[in-house]
Amino acid sequence: MARIALIVGALVAIVYPIPLQLQGTTYYQTVGFLVLLNAMLGLGWNVIGGWAGQFDFGPQVFFAVGAYTSALLYVKLGVDAWLALPLAAAVAAAICAVLTYPLTRLRGHYFAISTVAIWMIAQPIGATWEYIGAAQGLFIPVKARSSVVTSALSLQFTGPTKALGYYYAALALFALTLALMAWVERSKLGFYFRAIRDDQEAAEGIGIDSRLYKVIARSITAAVFGAGGVLYAFWALSVFPEQALELNWSTLPIMATVVGGIGRLWGPVLGAVILIPIAQIMSTTLGTGPLAGRGIDLIVYGLIIVVIAAFRPTGLLSLPWSRWLRLRRPAIA
Amino acid sequence: MTELAQAVVNGLQMGFLYALVAVGLTIIWGLMEMINFAHGEFLMLGMFGAWWLSAAFHLDPLVAIVPIALMMYAFGVLVYRQLMRRVQGGDPFTQIFATIGLLFLLQNAVVAGFTSDYRFVNDTLLQRLGGAKLQVLGVTFAVPLLLAAALALLLFLVLYLLIERTEFGLALQATSEDRDAARLVGIRPQRMFSVAWGLGAALVAIAGAILVNFFSVYPQVGLQFTVLAYAIVALGGFGSILGTLLAALLVGVIQSVTVVYLPPAFKDAFVFASYLVIGLLRPQGLFGRF
Repeated sequence: MARIALIVGALVAIVYPIPLQLQGTTYYQTVGFLVLLNAMLGLGWNVIGGWAGQFDFGPQVFFAVGAYTSALLYVKLGVDAWLALPLAAAVAAAICAVLTYPLTRLRGHYFAISTVAIWMIAQPIGATWEYIGAAQGLFIPVKARSSVVTSALSLQFTGPTKALGYYYAALALFALTLALMAWVERSKLGFYFRAIRDDQEAAEGIGIDSRLYKVIARSITAAVFGAGGVLYAFWALSVFPEQALELNWSTLPIMATVVGGIGRLWGPVLGAVILIPIAQIMSTTLGTGPLAGRGIDLIVYGLIIVVIAAFRPTGLLSLPWSRWLRLRRPAIA
Repeated sequence: MTELAQAVVNGLQMGFLYALVAVGLTIIWGLMEMINFAHGEFLMLGMFGAWWLSAAFHLDPLVAIVPIALMMYAFGVLVYRQLMRRVQGGDPFTQIFATIGLLFLLQNAVVAGFTSDYRFVNDTLLQRLGGAKLQVLGVTFAVPLLLAAALALLLFLVLYLLIERTEFGLALQATSEDRDAARLVGIRPQRMFSVAWGLGAALVAIAGAILVNFFSVYPQVGLQFTVLAYAIVALGGFGSILGTLLAALLVGVIQSVTVVYLPPAFKDAFVFASYLVIGLLRPQGLFGRF
């Protein structure tokens, strides 16, 4: 059952943009790109927030680290995006490890505020550091690509195929992240993380170094956010502090994870598939026309979130899906 | 030297205003350990309420404190009963999710009703004292800010006595310590939580009514104050009223002294850097008990 759902989901994800592209619309490919990007970030945040159970409100710092690293490599050294991607993820993870190790002395809400602190300190640094372009940031020039293959190899898509190209790039990265997380969930690491979340003292009692494994968990999160930052930078063709360090890069993935089901592998995916299109579609329908600029779309969006939270606080994946699905089958007496 | 002393004095005066914003958060987050991302929107509602009462009925913000506090108390209780009580059953992160939804809802409801324009409350009692200044040893004290600080201090004193010296306050603390044990000795936790939300909302709305004397009002005004308020509550230590006040004063001073030596962009960054340094030396905050 689960395998069939997986195959169907993968097929839909691969095929659905094609008829739209042939019709000449690109809007839904961009929505799909944002869904996949946020689902990927949510998968990353689920490691520190869902499995290790730590309040991390500052992963957007590592999104920015990834975006800036790849932009610097591309602009200053001419390194292509796909090569910069693992480098940027590694740099994000390394910086995260160095910053997070001292922070793991703090627990609970104190740790949460310390992750916010790193973000608050990163903002003026990003806005004043001349080497990375200060407040203006860095522009990523587009090099002329002759064919689809060279575009894909350099992660630079232009013209009418831009949305489609980045959609498939995001799909590939998302699938890679999902596979990686499925492995982490079942590995010894995953069990250590959950042991620390459920009872830190007991976990230490059986010899788990809680500080070390919190750092590892957050570094995995940082690597995913770094990779997401690279993808976003090349999509946006620029990196600047207010964009790369925007609060949305943590709140959207966190909300997606919580609404889908925190600590479950598919939770962030389901959450992103629900929340991002709702936000996008409402901002294009309710956000335009006579009531434009009055925030009607965000009122409805807020209302939907409040209602989901009030009536299913444990996330949508916690609903008794298997029982409901079984009910639909013909009863075998 | 005088410049530094002046910076410290300015910082202390701002610190009292920050303390006002943070104290509501101390009750909801610090004492009852519930996360409220919409705290800044409660502040914004208080500020808008004061602006509206002043524009429509020529009520001075200092007088408007009473109806605003009552309204927001009821609103806080409503938010707890209708939303947060259900959310409490889930993961703590669900509280973040729910209150971010509330943030979108409240902020944009105000945008829909009043647009995103900046609004000012003019000719209030405190502003009429605007020119009045006290000079002590070459350091200038602005009288309106001094009065606001005195108000803040009074509010803190009342709250401190309420939480630490009354039976009700003890029941509140007992609920935050152990909900089931509290129920065993006859405390109704749900009631304590709704009172805490009511109090938290009323206090931050009072802060809003005082802040409109000094700051303009717009729907997104909350964030800049709440980010600091979160740092202040953690810096002071969870559940400590006195700690919140002292941490707020410290934050005000750090900000204004930073601005003397560094570009203004760094003033909040320096507050958070200090939080990290202090946090690493004292992981439970300055006055935290746990």
